[in-house]
Amino acid sequence: MLDRFPPHWIGFLSLVHREVARFMAYKSMTVFPPILTTILYIVVFGFSLGGRIQEIHTFSYIEFIIPGLVLMSVIMSAFNHSSGSIFMSKYDYSIQDVLLSPLSYFQMVMAFTLGGIIRGVLVGLLVLASGCILAHLTPHSISFTLLFLILTAQIFSSFGIWVGLWSERWDQQAFFMNFFLMPMIFLGGVFYAVNMLPPVWQFVNHLNPVYYMVSGIRYGMLNFQEVSPWTSLWIVLLSGFTLMSITIVLFRMGYKLKS
Amino acid sequence: MKFQNSKVAIEISGLKKTYGTTHVLQGIDLKIQRGSFFGLLGPNGAGKTTTIHIICGLTLASGGRVQIFGKDHLTHYREARRAIGLSGQEYNLDRFFPLHKSLTYHGRLFGIPKLKLKNQIEKLLHQFGLHEHRNHKTHKLSGGLKRRMMMVKALLHDPEILILDEPTAGVDVELRIDLWNFLRKFNQEGKTIILTTHYLEEAENLCQEIAILSKGKIAICDTKENVIQQAKGNLMNYFITEKQSEGFNA
Ligand SMILES: Nc1ncnc2c1ncn2[C@@H]1O[C@H](COP(=O)(O)OP(=O)(O)O)[C@@H](O)[C@H]1O
Ligand SMILES: [Mg+2]
Repeated sequence: MLDRFPPHWIGFLSLVHREVARFMAYKSMTVFPPILTTILYIVVFGFSLGGRIQEIHTFSYIEFIIPGLVLMSVIMSAFNHSSGSIFMSKYDYSIQDVLLSPLSYFQMVMAFTLGGIIRGVLVGLLVLASGCILAHLTPHSISFTLLFLILTAQIFSSFGIWVGLWSERWDQQAFFMNFFLMPMIFLGGVFYAVNMLPPVWQFVNHLNPVYYMVSGIRYGMLNFQEVSPWTSLWIVLLSGFTLMSITIVLFRMGYKLKS
Repeated sequence: MKFQNSKVAIEISGLKKTYGTTHVLQGIDLKIQRGSFFGLLGPNGAGKTTTIHIICGLTLASGGRVQIFGKDHLTHYREARRAIGLSGQEYNLDRFFPLHKSLTYHGRLFGIPKLKLKNQIEKLLHQFGLHEHRNHKTHKLSGGLKRRMMMVKALLHDPEILILDEPTAGVDVELRIDLWNFLRKFNQEGKTIILTTHYLEEAENLCQEIAILSKGKIAICDTKENVIQQAKGNLMNYFITEKQSEGFNA
């Protein structure tokens, strides 16, 4: 049935399929650990410590952080997938097979991006389901939540492609994760409400795009608004579009792909 | 295939490549006829791989242009990439999947219909003695088997032009002879083959036309007979002069 597509779209779908098969082949490393981590977070911060933290806007602490945990797992999974996949295939030169195929650079980038989105959203949904079960939570709007999961995954999948292209050694990837991504996630309001912070930090928070992703998902899951979900949506869409355009340009230029 | 109207498979004009201050290619012109068996020779570091990578679009040229069957290889990238099968000098095998699976993804990248692809993979795995390894991952293969896998990958989409960059480096004699026979047959089907090699007898044995790349320029490009004649019967002469000046290691 697939054979009825034009040949280069078959090629595109094959590349997406390969990307998904790559992480599914290592489920125990790519899909399950984030779920375990989340459960640990919920148990430690939610059930034990959380009892000592006041309610935040009528939500218990555990309810309040679950959307943040979901988001964190989406970000890390999407980013790790794309950056790892691009880096690895540069490292063993298998990226050449993609560059030699009749796909356009746009199709190549889209296929790698989609691989990261699929891993991010899959992990995000599993974390969300475990969170909801543990905390007896029913999401306010499934569609809005899903939309934000997809958009967040796209942003960090694109970002991962960029970092994967840029990095020449494994430790550069780890460096990025630890010194850039983690602070960005933790300071994006995953574990707190922004109006709990002093004004200066509130301002800094508003400059962090992760804040708008957290806000969007918190709205979707809890119907909680600090900023309008539509503002968040626009900012997230714009960030995603910008990053995706950058990756397409980088592929076209052959940035660190072609000497 | 839609290339019927061009008799020239690859035309390169004024090709230049500079890395920093190193001028690797200093204006190369080559015309490779459809159906020819073309040898690109030269000492180590002469720029053979660079030339091939530019043709395939894996390296960006600093100047000049490349046409594949009369069409610019970058503007008409889909046709150009379909026309070419490359077996590179360095192994570039996917480490995630067993051979048959990795070949399936590879073939689908070129949009080959499923059933046809399956048959093609079976045929090539048998032909190159890889069938018993079809469920192994590539890192389990010996060097010689990896080379064969590189060939299978290059041939999978049935390209009009086959480019082989040192295909017999580090390969045992038996496989080399097998490969030579295969290449002769493939060429007789009307396919164009471009070969770089360190083994001069390989070029003398197989190629109809030979170009010698030296110091960033084409030193000579002619039929094998003429090239050999000009080299006073022995191609090695070209390399001996090189050897003295830049250290040729075969
Ligand atoms: N990415 C690169 N950066 C800098 N110099 C390079 C690069 N790739 C190749 N070179 C140089 O270009 C020259 C030609 O290399 P190459 O095309 O691999 O030669 P050959 O295949 O004929 O042995 C060599 O001197 C090599 O050092
Ligand atoms: Mg070489």
